[in-house]
Amino acid sequence: MASNALIVGLSRQTALQRELDVVANNIANLNTTGYKADGTVFSEFLNANSQFMPPTQRVSFVQDRMSWHDMSQGTIQRTAGPLDVAIDGDGMLVVQTARGERYTRNGALQLNNVGELVTLSGDKVMGENGPITLQQTDRDIVITKDGTIKVREGISVNSDSTRGKLRVVTFASPMSLQKDGASTFAAPDGVTPQPVPDANINVVQGALEKSNVRPVIEMSRMIEVTRAYTEISTILQQQSDLQKNSIQQLAEVPA
Amino acid sequence: MRALSTAATGMMAQELNVQVISNNIANMRTTGYKRQSAEFQDLLYEHVRRIGTQTSTQGNILPVGIDLGGGVKTVGTPRLMTQGTLNPTGADLDLAVRGEGFFKVLMPDGTFTYTRDGSFQMDNQGRIVTAAGNVVQPGVNIPTNAQSITINSQGQVSATVPGSSTPSVLGQLVLTRFVNKAGLQAIGDNLFVETPASGTPQDGTPNTDGMGDIQQGNLEAANVEAVTEITNLIAAQRAYEMNGKVISAADQMLQSTSQLMR
Repeated sequence: MASNALIVGLSRQTALQRELDVVANNIANLNTTGYKADGTVFSEFLNANSQFMPPTQRVSFVQDRMSWHDMSQGTIQRTAGPLDVAIDGDGMLVVQTARGERYTRNGALQLNNVGELVTLSGDKVMGENGPITLQQTDRDIVITKDGTIKVREGISVNSDSTRGKLRVVTFASPMSLQKDGASTFAAPDGVTPQPVPDANINVVQGALEKSNVRPVIEMSRMIEVTRAYTEISTILQQQSDLQKNSIQQLAEVPA
Repeated sequence: MRALSTAATGMMAQELNVQVISNNIANMRTTGYKRQSAEFQDLLYEHVRRIGTQTSTQGNILPVGIDLGGGVKTVGTPRLMTQGTLNPTGADLDLAVRGEGFFKVLMPDGTFTYTRDGSFQMDNQGRIVTAAGNVVQPGVNIPTNAQSITINSQGQVSATVPGSSTPSVLGQLVLTRFVNKAGLQAIGDNLFVETPASGTPQDGTPNTDGMGDIQQGNLEAANVEAVTEITNLIAAQRAYEMNGKVISAADQMLQSTSQLMR
């Protein structure tokens, strides 16, 4: 069954191409705030038992089974922006998009023209009681550790007014979240966000969480992928030569 | 191969990043300049195997799927509107705002622009103007024989005239603030214009209603920090290189495939 070797090799090459796609996406997002790296997992795929294929001759193929998100903490970099927040530890911000509720670790927040707290894509960031709106005369914004947003109103120097509290949620299995582009995650059906208890929220104002992609790991994965791919190409080449030679030699009719 | 185009988006993003950083560094000594940062987001994902699909009639569902991302996009270059340090210059018409608010400037075409650059001058009619000769609002006329111009923290302009021992009030400067000052658009010459994102301008007297106060004889330096910019530049350059490596890896793989056929 010479053709099986070709197909098994092909299944591995297809999987490797996918892996390189994932690595490329990680490297492209090396500087993306709040980005979480992806990994791939391959599994063996046995072809079905059938009357044409006795159990001793079953062939195993490679199948890429899943990509997973590395939800580990990225480095927290100081930016000094009053509306830049990084979440140290567990938790995600809740964003109201046109497609529904989304979750993000990208805390580069902005205000819109009516003073509402929004993400860079203009989607509203949810507080515990809906969107958070700042007044025209507010200044000196302070975001406390538990996500409470306080401002000084007008010229008053001694009293803080609270404008809202960021809604910070977590998931029992963050792996099951689906990436939705624009640095957001979507929760599939049946996965519900749980509020993080106030004592466990650790919001850092004036800082952003950088991407958690580790360049060294990605570079070595990339080398591994290229090497494996070229190796299989060589095997495929040898298989093809084998077939070619056998056809030539067997079909040789002595004169 | 998707990796090629994915890495290309990464290279384009880092190129833009370097462009933004170089503009910050170029304006390190520009009065009233506010630094920009390039912000990125990941592009749309192709969900090859969607999370949550049923895998059997018993109702088993996929706990994880295959998401293939398409790279990175620049989502914006927001301006960091924080206070810059005040550098004393001693000049009478060098003003700096400490806190919220922009100086309002009338342009020749009748529109208003806003600036944090308070290096003002006097023109031939005794008006306070910007370095480009545009009148700072509301126009304050200073008599030619006026001495020792004083602008207090509330923006009140006063001067003594020969023959009088008490200074006389000549006018009152206004400051303008926006609900979203990061939404202002820079038009060059240290000037900003109102946009739909910034909200409507709200004029007010300095040092009241949350407006900043005016510091005479000072200029606001750019809020660019050299160390931050240089480290960002290094990170951007390395990221660019790595994306280039991905392209050569994808190229190598394609090459080994094409060599299969002889």
